[in-house]
Amino acid sequence: MKKKVLSVLMSLAMTATMLAGCGSTGAQSAAEQLDEQGVTEIAVETQAAEEAPAETADAAELDLSEQVDLVFYVMGDAPQDEELVEAALNEKLLEKCNATVDMQFSTWTEFQQKYANEITSQGADLIYIANWLNYGLLASSGAFEELDDMLDTVAPDLKAMVGESALNMCKVGGKIYAVPNTWPEYVSNGVKYREDLRAKYDLPVPNNLENLEAYLLGIKENEPDQGLLTVTTEESSGFKTAFDAAWVLNFKYPWVSANGLDYGLAANYDTPTDVYDYWFSDDFVDDMKMLKRWADEGFWSKSALSDTNNSDSYKNGLCVAEVAGQNPNKQVTAIADFANAGEGWESAYVAYGETTGVIYPGHATQNGTAIVRGCKNPERALLVLQAMLCDDEINSIVQYGIEGTHYTVEDGIYKNLQEEAGETATFPYEGFNTWNLRNGETKLPQKTDVALQEMFDKYAEMGAKTKFPNVNIYDGFSENYEAYSAERSAVNNVMRQYLAPIEAGLVDDVDAAVEEFRTLVKDAGLDKCREEYTKQWIAYCEEYDYK
Amino acid sequence: MAKDLDYAPSEPRTIKKSLGAKIFYVFIYIMLTIGSIVCVLPFIIIVSGSFTDNVTILKEGYSLLPRNFTLAAYQTIFKSPKDILQAYKMNTYYTVVGTFIGLTMISLTGYVISRKEFKYRNTVSFLIYFTSIFGGGMIPWYLMYANVLGLKGSTLAIWFPALMSPFLVILMRTFIVGAVPDAVTESAKIDGAGHFTIFFKIVLPILKPGLATVGLFLALGYWNDWYRSSMFSTNSSTWQLQFYLYDLLNATTAMKQMASNVSMKTADLPTESVKLAMAVVATGPVLLFYPFVRRFFVSGITVGAVKG
Repeated sequence: MKKKVLSVLMSLAMTATMLAGCGSTGAQSAAEQLDEQGVTEIAVETQAAEEAPAETADAAELDLSEQVDLVFYVMGDAPQDEELVEAALNEKLLEKCNATVDMQFSTWTEFQQKYANEITSQGADLIYIANWLNYGLLASSGAFEELDDMLDTVAPDLKAMVGESALNMCKVGGKIYAVPNTWPEYVSNGVKYREDLRAKYDLPVPNNLENLEAYLLGIKENEPDQGLLTVTTEESSGFKTAFDAAWVLNFKYPWVSANGLDYGLAANYDTPTDVYDYWFSDDFVDDMKMLKRWADEGFWSKSALSDTNNSDSYKNGLCVAEVAGQNPNKQVTAIADFANAGEGWESAYVAYGETTGVIYPGHATQNGTAIVRGCKNPERALLVLQAMLCDDEINSIVQYGIEGTHYTVEDGIYKNLQEEAGETATFPYEGFNTWNLRNGETKLPQKTDVALQEMFDKYAEMGAKTKFPNVNIYDGFSENYEAYSAERSAVNNVMRQYLAPIEAGLVDDVDAAVEEFRTLVKDAGLDKCREEYTKQWIAYCEEYDYK
Repeated sequence: MAKDLDYAPSEPRTIKKSLGAKIFYVFIYIMLTIGSIVCVLPFIIIVSGSFTDNVTILKEGYSLLPRNFTLAAYQTIFKSPKDILQAYKMNTYYTVVGTFIGLTMISLTGYVISRKEFKYRNTVSFLIYFTSIFGGGMIPWYLMYANVLGLKGSTLAIWFPALMSPFLVILMRTFIVGAVPDAVTESAKIDGAGHFTIFFKIVLPILKPGLATVGLFLALGYWNDWYRSSMFSTNSSTWQLQFYLYDLLNATTAMKQMASNVSMKTADLPTESVKLAMAVVATGPVLLFYPFVRRFFVSGITVGAVKG
């Protein structure tokens, strides 16, 4: 009898261990875990919220007599010379703020989960924030300290430098929770293509759908063995597109990928509150037929839906254009890669916005710094943040390391000494991954940044002509899908399974396939998602006055 | 009998198989062959990929034999071997310390809850077993180590949480109950031995297969773990080997994704062949080591199964 009980226990224990094993390796997506925590935090943190302002009022004159040790949590991996640079940094910080900073790194493994842990456990004082780390959701659930009053009392210089409008973009529920960097950056998506081949066969610059098609066809005719596009589903996992080739539609509409709304909804940049439908429109069918034609022309592989790892193919000359997930910075990287390859290849770039006229820099919440609620010395933390961002001397230590050891400045251009010597850099450019501490006025350009800045200047000029001059109205929005998460994932499944083959042109009959997709996505609960999403979106537009 | 001598001598020894048994054997062999191909093939591809030129991998895909043979990937890894050697060192340290202390604690616990004279043995067993079904979850687990015990950043946080698992304790207890008859310990007791003498002089020597099995479970667990480094390490010099490698891969993917949103450098990311070479370097020693202890592993598990 006893043995039986024991064996039952044993087998149960084994099953349990296995289950536990599965659980911890992350059957749940990181984003979901983050949301869960965001939710649990509301209850715990509201109390602290009430206490915080009282403290601020008392500390008008900041007392620096006591040394404060702060933890600054940033993303990514630590540079090799972390300790050396930290020592140099702390020497200056002790002198100016009587504080030290210990940089801690998330690494890139399960960083969403660890980021949430760090906030829950209040292990850090200063923390990197970004919209892709759910800044809006976290701030509204009380993860960060309010900065409105403190910015006036403790860090007026910082406030002046960052400016009212950028700080406004970081507001959540009317309060400022984060300080953005001050380097306007254009991540405008576009098409990267081979300028040398275009010139060789006298093809048009692919700056709209017809020209792109002509460019690809021209290369196909002249070099039948050359691969054309290596598009996969890699850049299209969200709720806008399901296959990378569909990004080319950005030439036609300004709202397909990065600028778009989810769930097949659309809104023009000039009239963001005027939300209309795309998936059920005739335009959608026409566009899908065009993609089918492209697929039949052999622009991409028949196995594109299951292919992965397309990232190095352009670099190695395996394709002649990239259409999804591109930005000016990647173009600059490609120029450098081609120079290294030494095959006479040339890369050029057309941003979709150049054709549609909708172009704007990254949102303020793309790179920012917040103070974690529960931080024992929020004023001092803010003072340190001010020093790290505004004080040129401290800022350059954080961003570039030690001059003479790690880098040198030649003709106003940053030069990494170790990379020049062909060694691995022990503290590369922005080695602490502090993209949130970029100071637009003093940021040292790298050699490649010259080309980058040229592109930025061009876009800035165009962006100034839009209705919301150089304001990114999209990326400040964060959807709260708690109420319809089941429908949302059902819609996602339908998109992956039915929309992807349509956009990849791998269906025989486009009309029938679109009809099937429409029925299924409706059954999955599209209407509920759309309704809630639109409501939240319009509320967001009202709040920030994007009308 | 003499007439039959012109048969091959081995013939009489085998029992003639029925048709059913033959089909059964053919089936089993086919299944095992497929099984082993499924296991071995990916590894061969990894090894051959690690010796293949990176551009060839991108252009032509993976193959069973390396094309355009090159040692470049290994040269890249061992150009600055400091990091990987440090990760090896730490991993060995965690495995040795964790396995040794874990084995001690597990066998002591197993011994105590296997003794009949221990009145609350069932309660204690249940409590241990209970934790395998109900746990606090990830966040409380993290807060416990990071905030309550304050172990974040310490190497203790990496080997301490995995010292004992309910499964291994119960396994050990079953070993002890099965392998050490009551009569043996009783006779030792009559001769005047205390619990320590009984445990160290009588039980432990008999328990070798059990120790080998549990030890191997622990050691493999420690060697292959990356999660605790991910959660608790604040300095890359304390990283476990698997985490070092896993993070390398994650960094590559994450930075590629990030690069669509943020201006950042993506130049120095490891190439395909370097990643594969990393995998070879990390798994190599375990592969060499495994056949030598496999003997214990197999016999240990069967001992438990038959007599438990």
